[in-house]
Amino acid sequence: MLYNSNFVLDLNNINMKRSVLVFLVAGLVLLTSLLWMVNSAGMADLTDTIQFGVIGLLVAFAVFIGFRRLKSERRGEPAEDELSKSILQKTAAFSYYISLYLWVAMIYIKDRVNMDTEQLLGTGILGMAITFALCWLILNFRGMRHE
Amino acid sequence: MNNRIRELRARHNMTQDDLARKVNVRRETIVFLEKNKYNPSLRLAYDIAKVFGITIEEVFLFESET
Repeated sequence: MLYNSNFVLDLNNINMKRSVLVFLVAGLVLLTSLLWMVNSAGMADLTDTIQFGVIGLLVAFAVFIGFRRLKSERRGEPAEDELSKSILQKTAAFSYYISLYLWVAMIYIKDRVNMDTEQLLGTGILGMAITFALCWLILNFRGMRHE
Repeated sequence: MNNRIRELRARHNMTQDDLARKVNVRRETIVFLEKNKYNPSLRLAYDIAKVFGITIEEVFLFESET
């Protein structure tokens, strides 16, 4: 257990473990991206810089989700409840559906734009992550009234 | 579906945090319910009605009834 003022970070709690996991994954993604940037120093082109910026935004989004979960825990509320679970389920379904079209578009672009396979795959994966984040934000703002 | 959660909460002198803790959901869920942005599960509707000591029909009003 880690103690911080009146808040106890109980790592035996499964919800707390999940919240910490969000930070861990975000940290690993950031660390890997930093390594990639350091290794390609001086060789990074505009596409790489844009990709790095997008990764930064996605990490910020993950950190926001992690803090939101911890805030709920601190208030004595569950980190996840039926609304957050249904928003997550609908987000996953929507983003999967949109991702199918995204990959079709990527295949179309592949033959027309001069891009490495790695860059193309990276852009596709980032596109999927952005789609997920956007769907989550829209559903979280709009609500689930007619479900 | 409309509901009287805000009104009942005020009558029972209860905050959104209090109600959220009593029915074991996040405060945002209560906010969404009060803004009619979310239709709760039967279980949650039952729990909320139980907190106020009334029936589900007295808390949640279907559009055809309003």
